[in-house]
Amino acid sequence: MTSIRLDHLTKKFGSFAALKTMDMEIRDGEFMALLGPSGCGKSTTMNIIAGMEGPSTGRVLFGDRDMSGVPMPKRGVGFVFQNYAIFTHMNVRQNLAYGLKVRGTPQPEINRRVTTIAEFLQLTQFLDQPSAKLSVNILQRLAIGRSAIVEPAIFLLDEPLSNVDAAFRAVMRTELKHLQRQFKQTMVYVTHDQLEAMTMADRIAVMDHGVLQQVGTPLEVYNNPANVFVARFIGSPGMNLVPATLVERDGQLRADLGAAGISAPLAPELAAAARTAGAGEVWYGFRPEELSVASGDAGLAAGVTFVERIGSRTVVHFDIAGEPAKGVFENDVALQEGSAARLAPGPDAVRLFDRQSGNAIGGSTHGLH
Amino acid sequence: MTAVPMTDTAAPARTEAQEEKRLGLFLTLPAQLLVLFIAVFPLLMQLYISLTDWSPLEGIPWWQAYELWNDFYNYIDLAEDPRWWGALWRTALVMAVCVPAEFLLGLGLAILFVDNFRGRRVFYSILLMPMMVVPAVAGYMFFMLFQSGGPLNDILSTLSGQNVAIAWLSSPDLAMFAVMVADIWQWTPLMFLILLAGLVGVPEDQLKAATLLGANWWQRFTTIMLPRMKTIIIIALAIRAIENFKIFDTLYIMTGGGPGVATETISVYIYKLTTNDLTWGYVAAIALVILISLSVVLGIAIARMGRSRATQP
Amino acid sequence: MRRSPVFEIFRYAAIALALAITLIPILWMASMAFKPVSEWQATGDQLTWWPRNPTLDNFRYIFGESTNELISSLERTATKPILASLLSSVFGTLIAMVAGSAAAYGLSRFKAGGNLPLALIQLRLFPPMAVMIPVMIMWAFLQLNDTWWGLALIYGIVTLPFAFWLMKTFFDEMPREIEEAALVEGCSRFRVFLKVTLPMMAAPLASSALFVFILNWSDYLIALLLTTREWVTIPVYMASLSSSMTGQLYGAKAALGLIAAVPPIVAGIVIQKHLVRGLTFGALKQ
Repeated sequence: MTSIRLDHLTKKFGSFAALKTMDMEIRDGEFMALLGPSGCGKSTTMNIIAGMEGPSTGRVLFGDRDMSGVPMPKRGVGFVFQNYAIFTHMNVRQNLAYGLKVRGTPQPEINRRVTTIAEFLQLTQFLDQPSAKLSVNILQRLAIGRSAIVEPAIFLLDEPLSNVDAAFRAVMRTELKHLQRQFKQTMVYVTHDQLEAMTMADRIAVMDHGVLQQVGTPLEVYNNPANVFVARFIGSPGMNLVPATLVERDGQLRADLGAAGISAPLAPELAAAARTAGAGEVWYGFRPEELSVASGDAGLAAGVTFVERIGSRTVVHFDIAGEPAKGVFENDVALQEGSAARLAPGPDAVRLFDRQSGNAIGGSTHGLH
Repeated sequence: MTAVPMTDTAAPARTEAQEEKRLGLFLTLPAQLLVLFIAVFPLLMQLYISLTDWSPLEGIPWWQAYELWNDFYNYIDLAEDPRWWGALWRTALVMAVCVPAEFLLGLGLAILFVDNFRGRRVFYSILLMPMMVVPAVAGYMFFMLFQSGGPLNDILSTLSGQNVAIAWLSSPDLAMFAVMVADIWQWTPLMFLILLAGLVGVPEDQLKAATLLGANWWQRFTTIMLPRMKTIIIIALAIRAIENFKIFDTLYIMTGGGPGVATETISVYIYKLTTNDLTWGYVAAIALVILISLSVVLGIAIARMGRSRATQP
Repeated sequence: MRRSPVFEIFRYAAIALALAITLIPILWMASMAFKPVSEWQATGDQLTWWPRNPTLDNFRYIFGESTNELISSLERTATKPILASLLSSVFGTLIAMVAGSAAAYGLSRFKAGGNLPLALIQLRLFPPMAVMIPVMIMWAFLQLNDTWWGLALIYGIVTLPFAFWLMKTFFDEMPREIEEAALVEGCSRFRVFLKVTLPMMAAPLASSALFVFILNWSDYLIALLLTTREWVTIPVYMASLSSSMTGQLYGAKAALGLIAAVPPIVAGIVIQKHLVRGLTFGALKQ
């Protein structure tokens, strides 16, 4: 079991920069999710770790072994492809045995390990069936088993659940997490679905346009997004961001949201950080779940544009000083489309981001390692 | 409900299906007629003539060939005809050498062309050219090449340092070799074309997965690429074998079947009987023997294909 | 996949060898075509690879202008054989394409003519020599002997399978929605075929036609048996260019060979991406 270190990785395809200086460490035995929209460079990163591509500059280390120049077959990584890449012309048993067979493992040993893994992954009844027409559920386990049987130090999974229908996805998420705990592999998991990343990962690396945005535990990334992108990307719906200017009122720092009014005083730590940073123009951010309806004249002015009833909760769309925003409430919330409302984010829920750079102001330390 | 006659609503639907059927028949009619024209009448005629000793030299029209009836003697003569067996043997030899050679060389080229590399498209177009050369012209090209004072001997002279003046086309064995070379030159690109299409169709993901599991190139080739190309390989071999069996144009122009009968294949032998000896009754017998044998082979092949498709996953 | 540099060197070396082997025969013939008499008659030590005095004499010769006293002028020039090849190939292609495409459409859309696929494969399976005698007799009877239109007819029949299989795969791949839309608007099936399907199929039709044309143009055996004097095609005519009087006219034959070889090669390059489909009767696509 090994740790992975990405050291100043860049990758260019012609003039297109897929990765711009990735520095990251993945700890031994950790489940790290690479999260981001299409084209953010997460698959490229995985391919470089696996050795399918070489970096333009920089290097990859497994433990303290520099992997530059080490070819794919010798890297000892397990890889689960998005479409599983099962050898459809072979049956399940042959698929599982493949990695051992090409290594010249003696047949009795192969049989033993295949039986063990099949049992573990509940594939025993399918062993002698041709692999072409099996259900996605089985194929996924087969893909994992095929890679796991050679006991790789590192496991890479490229969006393995994107082909699975929503109903099964939840089931498989738990299974995968369970498996990772069992095997204690270092696992790197690429996905564009932040719910997947949030529920499965020990830590998440959020990427956009080839740049690492933030690395942290799901809670860190959720509660203290490092910049505007992470704030919007994480959470469903993402964080609301309203342009504001910081103003001093009666010795307290507040945010002026224009037509929506002036906010409540900022929490002391946040205010201190804002003053230190000399922040002026900001994004005033708060999560939809942290919104409550204020009474009387308190809170911010907003117009209700749309009410979505999605079963267990109600999502209300607002217009706050011209910016669209959302709030998540219980089903008994008294808000009507077309009416005006006054909203108050929870006291510790407010986050500030510099309007120019997009970076968070203050908050806990959220370094990139 | 008002009494609307049922026939009104039923008629349009029936006419559309009828129209389709009629149109279908109309569209396929020309092809059916042509096939009938070329298949039925010739077959019957051959059957009839093969039982006679007819030849256009006899001066009687073919339908009066019954005057020269000789039962199955043509077939018996065929079974005892050394020149026929020789031609059969030589055809088999050509097939046994050319088809595998074209396959292996084509496969080798296909493997080289699977990846993308600089100049790939241009080289590909050039390498395909031989199979687009008119076979008769190719025959003439190689005729020139294999002349004893010709460029091939010139190259060999340069390479070996001695004066090479082999009379390729005058020697029985060397003529056979020359003919095979010409065929391989012309048709390797065909195998190359088909096998490359097959190789490219192997899913790249599976190859990557195999590599990550530790397989080297040869292992990937034998465990993944070849098995997935089984159908294509069979098609390529079948097509090439069938065409090679019929070999005529290039060979005839290069050697005329000679020296003597050294390169006389089935098609050449039949051609000579038709144009030189004019023993058309005999030729008809040969034709029928070939037709029946090939039909049997085709039937077996189709039966086997049907069976294997039924058992496929 | 990344490859080692050693492999790259090997690859390029192997391809260079293949290119050389591919091009030498063709270039040799091209070279001979432009050589004057003295040069193409040369053997052994006097052999030259490229013409020292390139000339168009050979081309002029085959079209009737005799420029060298060594060679007597031709009885017949190459003009008519070229015309014969052209006419028989073009019209043969026409016949094959019309009958083949129609039948392919009939099978693809209306399931008519189910026996055709098998029958047409059988047609290609058997050696032409085995059926040529009845054909010769029939053609003589119908007075189609030694005519370009008689040749065109047999060409059309013999290449019908290719036209059929090619167009069938193309029709099968064409989505039916467009035709259905036209039908809903009230066109008859036949009009749909004419005004909707065929225009959409212009490119596949052209490619298939070129493919069939190459096959027809390349024929030798059938022309050899069915034409004698008037309408011999280029390959048959080429053989007649040598006689006991003139000897082997290498230069002239090379020139003619070059002329004959160019159309199929050009056509082949144009339809390159459909070659696999045509040659495997639609079993494979590229």
